[in-house]
Amino acid sequence: MSISEHTTAAHALTFGQRGFLSRFGPSNRTMFPWVLMAPTLIILFAIGIYPFLYSLYIAGHNVILSKPYIPQYFVGLYQYQAVVQDPEFWHALRKTLLFTVQAVFIEFWLGLGLALLVQRQLQGVAFMRIFILIPMILPPLVAALVWRYMFYPGAGLMTYYVGAVTRALGLGEIPFLSDPVIAFQTLVFVDVWEWTPFMFLMLSAGLASIPRQPYEAAEIDGAGSWRVFWTITMPLLRPAILIAVIIRTMDAFRTYELIVIMTRGGPGNATTTLNVFLTKTGLEFFDASKAAALSLIMMMIIIVMSFVFIRVFRSKTEVAE
Amino acid sequence: MKKLSSMPESPSAPPVQRNWWVYVVLILVCVVNFLPYLRVVMTGFMDGATSSSATPIWFFTPSLEAFDYLIFEKGIMKNFFNSVVVSLASTFFSVTIGMFCAYALARYDFPGRDDVSFWVLTNRMMPPVAVLIPIFVTFQTAGLLDTLLGLIILYTAMQLPFVVWMLTGYFRDIPRRYEESAMVDGDTWFAAFRKVTLPIMAPSITATAIFVMILSWNEFAFATFLTSNQAKTMPPAIMAYSIGADIKWNVLGAAVVLITAPLILFVLLLQRQLISGLSQGVVRK
Repeated sequence: MSISEHTTAAHALTFGQRGFLSRFGPSNRTMFPWVLMAPTLIILFAIGIYPFLYSLYIAGHNVILSKPYIPQYFVGLYQYQAVVQDPEFWHALRKTLLFTVQAVFIEFWLGLGLALLVQRQLQGVAFMRIFILIPMILPPLVAALVWRYMFYPGAGLMTYYVGAVTRALGLGEIPFLSDPVIAFQTLVFVDVWEWTPFMFLMLSAGLASIPRQPYEAAEIDGAGSWRVFWTITMPLLRPAILIAVIIRTMDAFRTYELIVIMTRGGPGNATTTLNVFLTKTGLEFFDASKAAALSLIMMMIIIVMSFVFIRVFRSKTEVAE
Repeated sequence: MKKLSSMPESPSAPPVQRNWWVYVVLILVCVVNFLPYLRVVMTGFMDGATSSSATPIWFFTPSLEAFDYLIFEKGIMKNFFNSVVVSLASTFFSVTIGMFCAYALARYDFPGRDDVSFWVLTNRMMPPVAVLIPIFVTFQTAGLLDTLLGLIILYTAMQLPFVVWMLTGYFRDIPRRYEESAMVDGDTWFAAFRKVTLPIMAPSITATAIFVMILSWNEFAFATFLTSNQAKTMPPAIMAYSIGADIKWNVLGAAVVLITAPLILFVLLLQRQLISGLSQGVVRK
């Protein structure tokens, strides 16, 4: 009995012509994809939707994790109101947006510049790729630990060598992690260090997929390289740019390890982003209900953001095609 | 099918120019990107006194003191083993399960396909910390706190959107007629899938699996809050040994070496697959 006969027999057993299951077999082009997707959808439902509904429940009640004996009763929208009326929330939101916009903007231009350089001069630089990519391959935890060490007063390379320079210039030590303003910029710097390689990777792939003909046409027309960049490269790179920027924005918005390890949200609350604020509320103050309301608000922000991005992405690519 | 090419060695690249300053810039970038990590690795091989010197020491006699402390005194190999089990198992399950979903999204045109695809994607966009508390409470009731099984289930779910997203793109690249001709020859759908589609997909599936494995290996937030002792993986373990009132820098260095060694090894061995997988799967629409 050949393999194919064997599997046909098995198939007949599973999806027998008269059996109930045959209705969901490969021949049914509307039902069969749902059969194939079922395991994925069930798992995502269990780990994605169920906790979401649970959050909704908790946010509508008063649950304090450290005081389980308090009777739980329905409080309506009180927890959302508590979040929105908390100045700390608006502070954290501002910090998160400021962090995301700065980091993604710098990463994009650096990554694009790097991708263009490597593309222009491919011989002899291919082996450098692995070194360029090192920061994004490291676990985010390790990247944060590495820079915590680099910036540690009295131990790190940055504090030592940069400190030597600034002392020589009469500026004294730079408080990399202890000054509210500088600490925030230090975090942006580390995020840029960690994720510019990602932009570089995405945009390199995008550049590689641009066809050669428009460049040849531009060369015949005698267009300068600046003009070629803005009229050919940028428009044709748009799909790659949008995808890379979307992914980076989502991830920068929820940066966690970096901030928790380097500053724990401080000094004061200078680097307390929404994610850090959420963790503090839920797991340090054990105010599960307020934390749940906050996490739902965050989820809304992210979903609205991604929806807008995807809309922009779709319409722009359709125009480009 | 489209061959997996490494990065932008396409004929579309503008003519090659050689400017010395480009090399200078690129070498500078490599140094900036690599040096901090290299420095921490070096620190891992110092003894306690050398590593706590306020003046950076670049030349020293290597010592395994910190590794000795982590492995024999702290028993970090247990965390290492947990990490290996969790990342291998969650990679296996998420790729096996997600593969079929990706196939359905790529091959069938059914009502609601775009919605499913968008919904799967939104699952990736949620910040892990936002679902932490409900998952914590659920795990507590189900007795999954501090178990490897709990982490495996969670990571499988976390990686699924990514797997589905990458593989959908790859499946679209395979012409439908290969499977169809196999099915005309009398094979069932599953036999055609196994004998024709899977072998063609092998490189793409490998690339996806590598990437997912790295994500699971690196995961920190859930591992920190959902494990305490038995199932603690490398990231929270390393956090515990390298942040404290009296930080020993050589211990931090050794911990970084232990958690990154498998990654670096992996990336060096599978550089081509990883880079092409990362860039191609995501840039494609």
